[in-house]
Amino acid sequence: MPPRPLGDDSAERVPITNAIAAIDAILRQPRRVMFQLRQPDAHRLVTSMVLASLVCAAIYGAIAGTSTGGSQLGVASVKVTLGLLISGVICLPSLYIFTCLSGSQARLLEICGLLSGLFLLMTVLLIGFAPVAWIFSQSTDSLVGMGALHLIFWFIATAFGLRFLQAGFSQSRARSQAGIKTWVVIFVLVALQMTAALRPILGKSDTFLPGSKKFFAVYWSQCFQEARDNSRATR
Amino acid sequence: MAKMTTLAAFPKAFDSFLRAEPEHFHEWVTRRQSELVAFCVVIIVAGAGGYGAVMGSWREPMQAFYTGIKLPMVILLTTLGNGLLNGMLAPLLGLNVSFRHSLSAVLISFAITSVVLGALSPIALFIVWNTPPLTAGTMLTSPEYGFLQLTLAFFVALGGIIGNVRLLPLLRHWAPKPAIARNVLLAWLAGNLVLGSQICWVLRPFIWDSKRPVEFIGPEGFHGSFFETVIQAVWRLAF
Repeated sequence: MPPRPLGDDSAERVPITNAIAAIDAILRQPRRVMFQLRQPDAHRLVTSMVLASLVCAAIYGAIAGTSTGGSQLGVASVKVTLGLLISGVICLPSLYIFTCLSGSQARLLEICGLLSGLFLLMTVLLIGFAPVAWIFSQSTDSLVGMGALHLIFWFIATAFGLRFLQAGFSQSRARSQAGIKTWVVIFVLVALQMTAALRPILGKSDTFLPGSKKFFAVYWSQCFQEARDNSRATR
Repeated sequence: MAKMTTLAAFPKAFDSFLRAEPEHFHEWVTRRQSELVAFCVVIIVAGAGGYGAVMGSWREPMQAFYTGIKLPMVILLTTLGNGLLNGMLAPLLGLNVSFRHSLSAVLISFAITSVVLGALSPIALFIVWNTPPLTAGTMLTSPEYGFLQLTLAFFVALGGIIGNVRLLPLLRHWAPKPAIARNVLLAWLAGNLVLGSQICWVLRPFIWDSKRPVEFIGPEGFHGSFFETVIQAVWRLAF
Protein backbone atom coordinates (compact mmCIF):
# COMPACT_ATOMS: atom_id res chain seq x y z
CA MET A 1 0.00 0.00 0.00
CA PRO A 2 1.55 3.39 -0.98
CA PRO A 3 2.12 5.82 1.93
CA ARG A 4 -0.39 8.62 2.49
CA PRO A 5 0.81 11.72 0.56
CA LEU A 6 2.46 14.43 2.65
CA GLY A 7 0.43 17.60 3.21
CA ASP A 8 -3.00 15.99 2.87
CA ASP A 9 -3.68 17.05 6.45
CA SER A 10 -3.86 20.86 6.88
CA ALA A 11 -1.87 20.60 10.15
CA GLU A 12 1.13 19.35 8.17
CA ARG A 13 1.12 22.51 6.07
CA VAL A 14 1.65 24.82 9.08
CA PRO A 15 5.22 26.19 8.80
CA ILE A 16 7.77 25.33 11.48
CA THR A 17 9.23 28.66 12.49
CA ASN A 18 11.83 27.88 15.16
CA ALA A 19 13.84 25.14 16.87
CA ILE A 20 11.33 24.62 19.69
CA ALA A 21 8.54 24.14 17.16
CA ALA A 22 10.81 21.74 15.26
CA ILE A 23 11.39 19.65 18.43
CA ASP A 24 7.67 19.54 19.13
CA ALA A 25 6.88 18.65 15.52
CA ILE A 26 9.44 15.88 15.25
CA LEU A 27 8.02 14.24 18.37
CA ARG A 28 4.32 14.67 17.60
CA GLN A 29 3.95 15.40 13.88
CA PRO A 30 6.92 13.90 12.03
CA ARG A 31 4.96 14.10 8.75
CA ARG A 32 4.77 17.87 9.20
CA VAL A 33 8.58 18.02 9.32
CA MET A 34 8.80 15.81 6.21
CA PHE A 35 6.33 18.07 4.36
CA GLN A 36 8.12 21.26 5.40
CA LEU A 37 11.44 19.83 4.18
CA ARG A 38 9.99 19.86 0.67
CA GLN A 39 9.09 23.56 0.77
CA PRO A 40 11.24 26.28 -0.85
CA ASP A 41 12.50 27.71 2.47
CA ALA A 42 13.43 24.30 3.95
CA HIS A 43 17.02 25.43 4.56
CA ARG A 44 15.85 27.43 7.61
CA LEU A 45 14.23 24.39 9.14
CA VAL A 46 17.31 22.28 8.41
CA THR A 47 19.57 24.90 10.02
CA SER A 48 17.43 25.17 13.14
CA MET A 49 17.25 21.36 13.46
CA VAL A 50 21.04 21.02 13.12
CA LEU A 51 21.65 23.76 15.70
CA ALA A 52 19.09 22.33 18.12
CA SER A 53 20.59 18.84 17.83
CA LEU A 54 24.10 20.19 18.46
CA VAL A 55 22.89 22.02 21.58
CA CYS A 56 21.10 18.88 22.83
CA ALA A 57 24.22 16.78 22.12
CA ALA A 58 26.36 19.26 24.06
CA ILE A 59 24.00 19.11 27.05
CA TYR A 60 23.92 15.32 27.02
CA GLY A 61 27.71 15.24 26.66
CA ALA A 62 28.06 17.43 29.75
CA ILE A 63 25.75 15.07 31.67
CA ALA A 64 27.89 12.14 30.50
CA GLY A 65 30.97 14.04 31.69
CA THR A 66 29.62 14.22 35.25
CA SER A 67 30.78 10.59 35.67
CA THR A 68 34.35 11.89 35.82
CA GLY A 69 33.68 15.53 36.71
CA GLY A 70 36.04 18.51 36.45
CA SER A 71 37.24 19.45 33.00
CA GLN A 72 35.67 16.29 31.57
CA LEU A 73 32.28 18.03 31.68
CA GLY A 74 33.40 20.35 28.91
CA VAL A 75 35.57 17.77 27.14
CA ALA A 76 32.75 15.17 26.97
CA SER A 77 30.33 17.85 25.84
CA VAL A 78 32.63 18.89 22.97
CA LYS A 79 33.43 15.27 22.04
CA VAL A 80 29.79 14.17 21.87
CA THR A 81 28.87 17.23 19.79
CA LEU A 82 31.89 16.75 17.56
CA GLY A 83 31.13 13.04 17.17
CA LEU A 84 27.60 13.80 16.04
CA LEU A 85 28.74 16.47 13.59
CA ILE A 86 31.51 14.34 12.10
CA SER A 87 29.22 11.29 11.79
CA GLY A 88 26.73 13.47 9.90
CA VAL A 89 29.34 14.96 7.57
CA ILE A 90 30.91 11.55 6.88
CA CYS A 91 27.63 9.74 6.28
CA LEU A 92 25.69 12.39 4.33
CA PRO A 93 27.30 11.71 0.91
CA SER A 94 26.66 7.95 1.13
CA LEU A 95 23.07 8.57 2.26
CA TYR A 96 22.45 10.80 -0.75
CA ILE A 97 24.05 8.35 -3.18
CA PHE A 98 22.16 5.36 -1.76
CA THR A 99 18.83 7.22 -1.89
CA CYS A 100 19.47 8.24 -5.50
CA LEU A 101 20.39 4.64 -6.41
CA SER A 102 17.14 3.50 -4.82
CA GLY A 103 15.22 5.69 -7.26
CA SER A 104 14.29 8.30 -4.67
CA GLN A 105 13.24 11.72 -5.95
CA ALA A 106 14.42 13.54 -2.80
CA ARG A 107 16.68 16.59 -3.26
CA LEU A 108 19.98 16.95 -1.38
CA LEU A 109 18.43 19.54 0.95
CA GLU A 110 15.61 17.15 1.79
CA ILE A 111 18.13 14.39 2.55
CA CYS A 112 20.06 16.86 4.75
CA GLY A 113 16.77 17.62 6.48
CA LEU A 114 15.96 13.96 7.09
CA LEU A 115 19.45 13.38 8.51
CA SER A 116 19.17 16.45 10.74
CA GLY A 117 15.72 15.17 11.79
CA LEU A 118 17.32 11.87 12.76
CA PHE A 119 19.92 13.73 14.82
CA LEU A 120 17.35 16.02 16.42
CA LEU A 121 15.06 13.17 17.47
CA MET A 122 18.03 11.18 18.70
CA THR A 123 19.52 13.98 20.81
CA VAL A 124 16.16 15.17 22.15
CA LEU A 125 15.47 11.64 23.35
CA LEU A 126 18.93 11.53 24.91
CA ILE A 127 17.99 14.67 26.84
CA GLY A 128 14.96 12.72 28.07
CA PHE A 129 17.32 10.02 29.31
CA ALA A 130 19.67 12.58 30.89
CA PRO A 131 18.13 12.57 34.42
CA VAL A 132 18.47 8.77 34.54
CA ALA A 133 22.06 8.94 33.27
CA TRP A 134 22.88 11.65 35.80
CA ILE A 135 21.63 9.74 38.83
CA PHE A 136 23.63 6.69 37.77
CA SER A 137 26.74 8.80 37.13
CA GLN A 138 26.53 10.19 40.67
CA SER A 139 26.30 6.73 42.22
CA THR A 140 28.72 4.49 40.37
CA ASP A 141 32.47 4.63 39.79
CA SER A 142 32.27 2.01 37.07
CA LEU A 143 33.01 3.76 33.79
CA VAL A 144 32.33 0.51 31.92
CA GLY A 145 28.88 0.33 33.50
CA MET A 146 28.18 3.96 32.61
CA GLY A 147 29.46 3.39 29.09
CA ALA A 148 27.08 0.45 28.68
CA LEU A 149 24.19 2.54 30.01
CA HIS A 150 24.94 5.40 27.61
CA LEU A 151 25.15 2.90 24.75
CA ILE A 152 21.74 1.46 25.62
CA PHE A 153 20.26 4.98 25.66
CA TRP A 154 22.00 5.78 22.39
CA PHE A 155 20.65 2.62 20.71
CA ILE A 156 17.07 3.39 21.80
CA ALA A 157 17.33 7.04 20.69
CA THR A 158 18.95 6.05 17.38
CA ALA A 159 16.25 3.44 16.70
CA PHE A 160 13.57 6.16 16.92
CA GLY A 161 15.69 8.54 14.82
CA LEU A 162 16.21 5.92 12.12
CA ARG A 163 12.49 5.19 12.11
CA PHE A 164 11.89 8.86 11.24
CA LEU A 165 14.51 8.73 8.49
CA GLN A 166 12.99 5.59 6.97
CA ALA A 167 9.48 7.07 7.14
CA GLY A 168 10.77 10.15 5.30
CA PHE A 169 12.58 7.97 2.79
CA SER A 170 9.43 5.96 2.07
CA GLN A 171 7.77 9.23 0.97
CA SER A 172 10.40 9.83 -1.70
CA ARG A 173 9.05 7.30 -4.25
CA ALA A 174 12.07 5.01 -3.87
CA ARG A 175 11.89 1.68 -5.70
CA SER A 176 13.73 -0.26 -3.02
CA GLN A 177 14.59 -0.06 0.69
CA ALA A 178 17.89 -1.92 0.25
CA GLY A 179 19.94 1.28 -0.09
CA ILE A 180 18.67 2.89 3.09
CA LYS A 181 19.03 -0.36 5.01
CA THR A 182 22.67 -0.63 3.93
CA TRP A 183 23.25 2.97 4.92
CA VAL A 184 21.75 2.37 8.39
CA VAL A 185 24.35 -0.36 9.02
CA ILE A 186 27.14 1.96 7.88
CA PHE A 187 25.85 4.82 10.02
CA VAL A 188 25.62 2.69 13.17
CA LEU A 189 29.17 1.39 12.64
CA VAL A 190 30.50 4.93 12.09
CA ALA A 191 28.77 6.20 15.22
CA LEU A 192 30.10 3.29 17.28
CA GLN A 193 33.61 3.87 15.95
CA MET A 194 33.33 7.47 17.21
CA THR A 195 33.42 6.08 20.78
CA ALA A 196 36.94 4.79 20.02
CA ALA A 197 38.08 7.63 17.76
CA LEU A 198 37.20 10.29 20.34
CA ARG A 199 38.10 8.21 23.40
CA PRO A 200 37.89 8.62 26.27
CA ILE A 201 34.48 10.30 26.42
CA LEU A 202 33.85 9.22 30.02
CA GLY A 203 37.28 8.77 31.61
CA LYS A 204 40.21 11.16 31.97
CA SER A 205 43.06 11.58 29.52
CA ASP A 206 46.11 13.82 29.16
CA THR A 207 45.35 14.56 25.53
CA PHE A 208 42.08 15.54 23.89
CA LEU A 209 42.37 12.88 21.18
CA PRO A 210 43.94 9.39 21.53
CA GLY A 211 47.47 8.75 20.33
CA SER A 212 46.78 5.30 18.88
CA LYS A 213 44.10 3.90 16.59
CA LYS A 214 41.72 1.17 17.67
CA PHE A 215 38.64 -0.57 16.37
CA PHE A 216 35.70 0.10 18.71
CA ALA A 217 35.16 -3.60 19.54
CA VAL A 218 38.81 -3.96 20.57
CA TYR A 219 38.61 -0.78 22.67
CA TRP A 220 35.46 -1.95 24.44
CA SER A 221 36.88 -5.40 25.18
CA GLN A 222 40.04 -3.78 26.62
CA CYS A 223 37.92 -1.50 28.84
CA PHE A 224 35.92 -4.50 30.02
CA GLN A 225 39.08 -6.50 30.73
CA GLU A 226 40.63 -3.61 32.71
CA ALA A 227 37.46 -3.21 34.78
CA ARG A 228 37.44 -6.94 35.55
CA ASP A 229 41.13 -6.90 36.55
CA ASN A 230 40.56 -3.85 38.81
CA SER A 231 37.56 -5.53 40.39
CA ARG A 232 39.60 -8.68 41.12
CA ALA A 233 42.48 -6.62 42.52
CA THR A 234 40.20 -4.73 44.95
CA ARG A 235 38.64 -8.01 46.10
CA MET B 1 -6.11 22.44 54.75
CA ALA B 2 -4.74 21.78 51.29
CA LYS B 3 -5.79 18.17 51.59
CA MET B 4 -9.33 19.16 52.51
CA THR B 5 -9.59 21.54 49.55
CA THR B 6 -8.32 18.89 47.16
CA LEU B 7 -10.58 16.17 48.43
CA ALA B 8 -13.58 18.51 48.49
CA ALA B 9 -13.01 19.38 44.83
CA PHE B 10 -13.39 15.71 43.90
CA PRO B 11 -16.74 14.45 45.11
CA LYS B 12 -16.56 10.67 45.50
CA ALA B 13 -13.04 10.92 44.16
CA PHE B 14 -11.79 8.00 46.14
CA ASP B 15 -14.45 5.67 44.72
CA SER B 16 -13.83 6.70 41.13
CA PHE B 17 -10.12 6.67 41.69
CA LEU B 18 -10.06 3.06 42.83
CA ARG B 19 -12.55 1.90 40.21
CA ALA B 20 -10.34 3.58 37.59
CA GLU B 21 -13.02 4.58 35.14
CA PRO B 22 -11.13 5.89 32.12
CA GLU B 23 -13.77 8.58 31.45
CA HIS B 24 -13.25 10.08 34.90
CA PHE B 25 -9.47 10.01 34.61
CA HIS B 26 -9.69 11.55 31.17
CA GLU B 27 -11.93 14.34 32.42
CA TRP B 28 -9.70 15.05 35.41
CA VAL B 29 -6.54 15.01 33.33
CA THR B 30 -7.92 17.37 30.71
CA ARG B 31 -10.05 19.72 32.83
CA ARG B 32 -8.88 19.57 36.42
CA GLN B 33 -5.22 18.77 36.08
CA SER B 34 -3.79 20.85 38.94
CA GLU B 35 -6.39 19.44 41.34
CA LEU B 36 -5.63 15.92 40.13
CA VAL B 37 -1.89 16.39 40.58
CA ALA B 38 -2.38 17.75 44.12
CA PHE B 39 -4.76 14.89 44.90
CA CYS B 40 -2.28 12.28 43.65
CA VAL B 41 0.63 13.84 45.57
CA VAL B 42 -1.42 13.82 48.79
CA ILE B 43 -2.32 10.15 48.22
CA ILE B 44 1.29 9.21 47.47
CA VAL B 45 2.61 11.02 50.55
CA ALA B 46 -0.06 9.46 52.78
CA GLY B 47 -0.21 5.94 51.30
CA ALA B 48 3.43 5.28 50.48
CA GLY B 49 4.52 7.31 53.53
CA GLY B 50 2.42 5.14 55.82
CA TYR B 51 3.73 1.95 54.28
CA GLY B 52 7.30 3.27 54.47
CA ALA B 53 6.86 4.02 58.15
CA VAL B 54 5.72 0.44 58.72
CA MET B 55 8.78 -0.87 56.82
CA GLY B 56 11.16 1.11 59.00
CA SER B 57 9.33 0.42 62.25
CA TRP B 58 10.96 -3.01 62.58
CA ARG B 59 14.21 -1.27 63.43
CA GLU B 60 13.16 1.77 65.49
CA PRO B 61 10.85 4.81 65.37
CA MET B 62 13.48 7.07 63.76
CA GLN B 63 13.97 4.60 60.89
CA ALA B 64 10.17 4.51 60.51
CA PHE B 65 10.14 8.30 60.23
CA TYR B 66 12.95 8.32 57.62
CA THR B 67 11.50 5.50 55.52
CA GLY B 68 8.09 7.21 55.74
CA ILE B 69 9.68 10.18 53.98
CA LYS B 70 11.91 8.21 51.62
CA LEU B 71 9.30 5.94 50.02
CA PRO B 72 7.08 8.81 48.74
CA MET B 73 10.32 10.55 47.66
CA VAL B 74 11.25 7.55 45.49
CA ILE B 75 7.87 7.68 43.77
CA LEU B 76 7.81 11.44 43.24
CA LEU B 77 11.45 11.65 42.09
CA THR B 78 10.91 8.77 39.64
CA THR B 79 7.81 10.50 38.24
CA LEU B 80 9.64 13.81 37.83
CA GLY B 81 12.91 12.29 36.62
CA ASN B 82 11.23 10.30 33.89
CA GLY B 83 8.55 12.91 33.10
CA LEU B 84 10.38 14.28 30.09
CA LEU B 85 11.31 10.85 28.74
CA ASN B 86 7.80 9.42 29.22
CA GLY B 87 6.32 12.49 27.52
CA MET B 88 8.61 11.92 24.53
CA LEU B 89 8.12 8.16 24.29
CA ALA B 90 4.31 8.36 24.21
CA PRO B 91 3.97 10.29 20.90
CA LEU B 92 6.86 8.34 19.38
CA LEU B 93 5.00 5.10 20.09
CA GLY B 94 1.79 6.48 18.60
CA LEU B 95 0.00 7.96 21.61
CA ASN B 96 -0.38 11.67 20.98
CA VAL B 97 -0.62 13.11 24.48
CA SER B 98 1.06 16.19 25.94
CA PHE B 99 3.87 16.10 28.51
CA ARG B 100 1.46 17.22 31.21
CA HIS B 101 -1.01 14.47 30.34
CA SER B 102 1.65 11.77 30.39
CA LEU B 103 2.99 13.08 33.69
CA SER B 104 -0.53 13.04 35.15
CA ALA B 105 -1.12 9.49 33.88
CA VAL B 106 2.07 8.19 35.53
CA LEU B 107 1.16 10.06 38.70
CA ILE B 108 -2.30 8.43 38.69
CA SER B 109 -0.68 5.01 38.39
CA PHE B 110 1.68 5.71 41.30
CA ALA B 111 -1.18 7.14 43.36
CA ILE B 112 -3.16 3.90 42.90
CA THR B 113 -0.05 1.95 43.91
CA SER B 114 0.22 4.15 47.00
CA VAL B 115 -3.43 3.59 47.88
CA VAL B 116 -2.82 -0.16 47.71
CA LEU B 117 0.33 0.18 49.82
CA GLY B 118 -1.55 2.33 52.32
CA ALA B 119 -4.27 -0.29 52.50
CA LEU B 120 -1.70 -3.06 53.01
CA SER B 121 0.06 -1.09 55.77
CA PRO B 122 -1.98 -2.61 58.65
CA ILE B 123 -1.22 -6.11 57.35
CA ALA B 124 2.46 -5.21 56.94
CA LEU B 125 2.46 -3.80 60.47
CA PHE B 126 0.94 -7.03 61.74
CA ILE B 127 3.71 -8.98 60.00
CA VAL B 128 6.40 -6.66 61.39
CA TRP B 129 4.90 -7.00 64.87
CA ASN B 130 4.95 -10.79 64.57
CA THR B 131 8.52 -10.91 63.26
CA PRO B 132 11.23 -11.56 65.90
CA PRO B 133 12.62 -8.14 66.85
CA LEU B 134 15.96 -6.80 65.78
CA THR B 135 18.63 -7.74 68.32
CA ALA B 136 22.41 -7.52 68.51
CA GLY B 137 22.51 -11.05 67.15
CA THR B 138 20.48 -10.31 64.03
CA MET B 139 22.47 -10.62 60.83
CA LEU B 140 21.80 -9.90 57.16
CA THR B 141 21.47 -13.66 56.69
CA SER B 142 18.98 -14.07 59.56
CA PRO B 143 15.74 -15.74 58.38
CA GLU B 144 13.51 -13.12 60.04
CA TYR B 145 15.19 -10.30 58.13
CA GLY B 146 14.96 -12.22 54.85
CA PHE B 147 11.30 -12.99 55.46
CA LEU B 148 10.52 -9.34 56.20
CA GLN B 149 12.42 -8.12 53.14
CA LEU B 150 10.62 -10.55 50.84
CA THR B 151 7.15 -9.89 52.28
CA LEU B 152 7.49 -6.10 52.16
CA ALA B 153 8.96 -6.23 48.64
CA PHE B 154 6.10 -8.52 47.54
CA PHE B 155 3.56 -5.95 48.76
CA VAL B 156 5.36 -3.18 46.85
CA ALA B 157 5.39 -5.34 43.72
CA LEU B 158 1.70 -6.12 44.15
CA GLY B 159 0.88 -2.40 44.53
CA GLY B 160 2.97 -1.61 41.45
CA ILE B 161 1.24 -4.26 39.33
CA ILE B 162 -2.23 -3.07 40.36
CA GLY B 163 -1.30 0.57 39.68
CA ASN B 164 -0.11 -0.23 36.19
CA VAL B 165 -3.01 -2.53 35.35
CA ARG B 166 -5.37 0.29 36.36
CA LEU B 167 -3.51 2.72 34.10
CA LEU B 168 -4.04 0.57 31.02
CA PRO B 169 -7.77 1.46 30.52
CA LEU B 170 -6.89 5.17 30.47
CA LEU B 171 -4.13 4.61 27.92
CA ARG B 172 -6.52 2.48 25.84
CA HIS B 173 -9.06 5.31 26.05
CA TRP B 174 -6.47 7.70 24.58
CA ALA B 175 -4.78 5.38 22.09
CA PRO B 176 -6.11 4.66 18.59
CA LYS B 177 -5.13 0.95 18.97
CA PRO B 178 -4.85 -1.29 22.07
CA ALA B 179 -1.34 -2.35 21.02
CA ILE B 180 -0.16 1.27 21.23
CA ALA B 181 -1.50 1.58 24.80
CA ARG B 182 0.31 -1.64 25.74
CA ASN B 183 3.59 -0.50 24.17
CA VAL B 184 3.45 2.88 25.91
CA LEU B 185 2.73 1.21 29.24
CA LEU B 186 5.65 -1.19 28.78
CA ALA B 187 8.00 1.63 27.79
CA TRP B 188 6.98 3.72 30.81
CA LEU B 189 7.29 0.68 33.07
CA ALA B 190 10.81 -0.07 31.84
CA GLY B 191 11.94 3.54 32.30
CA ASN B 192 10.39 3.82 35.75
CA LEU B 193 11.91 0.51 36.79
CA VAL B 194 15.42 1.58 35.81
CA LEU B 195 15.27 5.01 37.46
CA GLY B 196 13.17 3.86 40.44
CA SER B 197 15.62 1.05 41.26
CA GLN B 198 18.55 3.43 41.27
CA ILE B 199 16.75 6.06 43.39
CA CYS B 200 15.92 3.29 45.88
CA TRP B 201 19.58 2.34 45.83
CA VAL B 202 20.67 5.91 46.56
CA LEU B 203 18.12 6.39 49.35
CA ARG B 204 18.79 3.06 51.07
CA PRO B 205 18.46 1.71 53.77
CA PHE B 206 14.69 1.34 53.97
CA ILE B 207 14.55 -1.35 56.64
CA TRP B 208 17.94 -1.80 58.26
CA ASP B 209 21.66 -1.39 57.71
CA SER B 210 23.57 -3.75 59.99
CA LYS B 211 26.76 -1.68 59.93
CA ARG B 212 25.40 1.83 60.47
CA PRO B 213 23.30 3.76 62.98
CA VAL B 214 19.94 5.13 61.87
CA GLU B 215 20.57 7.74 59.13
CA PHE B 216 18.47 9.33 56.44
CA ILE B 217 20.91 8.35 53.68
CA GLY B 218 23.94 6.21 54.51
CA PRO B 219 27.48 7.10 53.37
CA GLU B 220 27.16 4.36 50.76
CA GLY B 221 24.20 6.14 49.16
CA PHE B 222 26.06 7.49 46.17
CA HIS B 223 28.32 4.46 45.82
CA GLY B 224 27.69 1.79 43.22
CA SER B 225 24.45 1.09 41.45
CA PHE B 226 21.61 -1.36 41.80
CA PHE B 227 22.28 -3.05 38.46
CA GLU B 228 26.03 -3.20 39.01
CA THR B 229 25.46 -5.08 42.26
CA VAL B 230 22.99 -7.47 40.63
CA ILE B 231 25.36 -8.15 37.72
CA GLN B 232 28.31 -8.69 40.09
CA ALA B 233 26.25 -11.08 42.20
CA VAL B 234 25.22 -13.06 39.10
CA TRP B 235 28.85 -13.06 37.93
CA ARG B 236 30.07 -14.36 41.30
CA LEU B 237 27.47 -17.10 41.26
CA ALA B 238 28.17 -18.11 37.67
CA PHE B 239 32.00 -18.06 37.73
